[in-house]
Amino acid sequence: MTSSAFQSLILPFRQKLYCFAFRLLGNEEDAKDVVQDAFIRVWNNREKMPELQSLEAWCMRITRNVALDRLKSRKYRITDDLDRAGEVPSVHQSPHQHAEKSDVMRRVHAAIARLPEKYRTVLQLRDMDGLSYQEIADMLEIGLAEVKINLHRARKTVREQLQNLQVYGIQ
Amino acid sequence: MEYNDIRALLNKYWACESTEEEEAELRVFYAGHEGKLPADLQEAAPLFQYFNDCSAVPDMPELFTDKPAPWDEPQHPAIVRSLWQGWMKYAAAVLVAAGLLYSADSFRDKKTDAMAFADTYSDPKLAYEQTQRALQLLSKNLNRGKNEMQKIAYFNEATSIVEGKN
Repeated sequence: MTSSAFQSLILPFRQKLYCFAFRLLGNEEDAKDVVQDAFIRVWNNREKMPELQSLEAWCMRITRNVALDRLKSRKYRITDDLDRAGEVPSVHQSPHQHAEKSDVMRRVHAAIARLPEKYRTVLQLRDMDGLSYQEIADMLEIGLAEVKINLHRARKTVREQLQNLQVYGIQ
Repeated sequence: MEYNDIRALLNKYWACESTEEEEAELRVFYAGHEGKLPADLQEAAPLFQYFNDCSAVPDMPELFTDKPAPWDEPQHPAIVRSLWQGWMKYAAAVLVAAGLLYSADSFRDKKTDAMAFADTYSDPKLAYEQTQRALQLLSKNLNRGKNEMQKIAYFNEATSIVEGKN
């Protein structure tokens, strides 16, 4: 594959890959490094491209692997800076409402972060990145049924934790 | 949108039976809703609020600012070969071919010599007769030469007598 073909076929995915990496790592600088490393890996394996059914799913898979390697190698912990979620307070919110919302967001984030990795990834890909079941299956190299099972378990677990939040009056 | 519609969509969402469009409707509903919600709808509000907040991703930074992108580097630098590298290759091939031909030719000559000294007859009696004939022919020709030499000897002897040497 030539340089120009690579740039026209692969580089358009960069925004999507960056969003995906950012949500996995929660850090702009690391997300950028991961996308760069993923592109280098894609380039080094470009001879496989003609055999692939979905270049996008392949790029996403490589990005995910690079991000997971980074998480493992550095004993990385996703920073609990979900403060970002509350950094831009709504004009309609009082300081008290804003603080309360930040706290709730932090708890939702923690509930998702506690999920097993395969559940968390499916939930992120579906509910945050907006991928279809088929795209998720292609990316993770699993069947559609497994995607739905993992997503169902992820949502169910998160739901139970949200119910606990309400039952114990945290919100 | 009516709360009942949202309840129906939520049920489908938790059962993983909702479509992408229906999930988008839920996100829009929870992002835009202000005020208090019924308790059963409130359950999912933090989750959809979280999804909505997470949809804000920082701007895409410029990539490969600290190192060159691998696809921008020259792929295979052209290898410049001098002229002699080209013809030396063919000369070497010709020399090798000539050596092989010479070796094959020598081998064939040796084989021919070996055949000349090997027994070629199958019938000993016939071989004996043929040999005898050949020897008789040789003997006959030798005798003819001997007679001619005797004549020359007589002539020389007569010449000596005439010259008075004896």
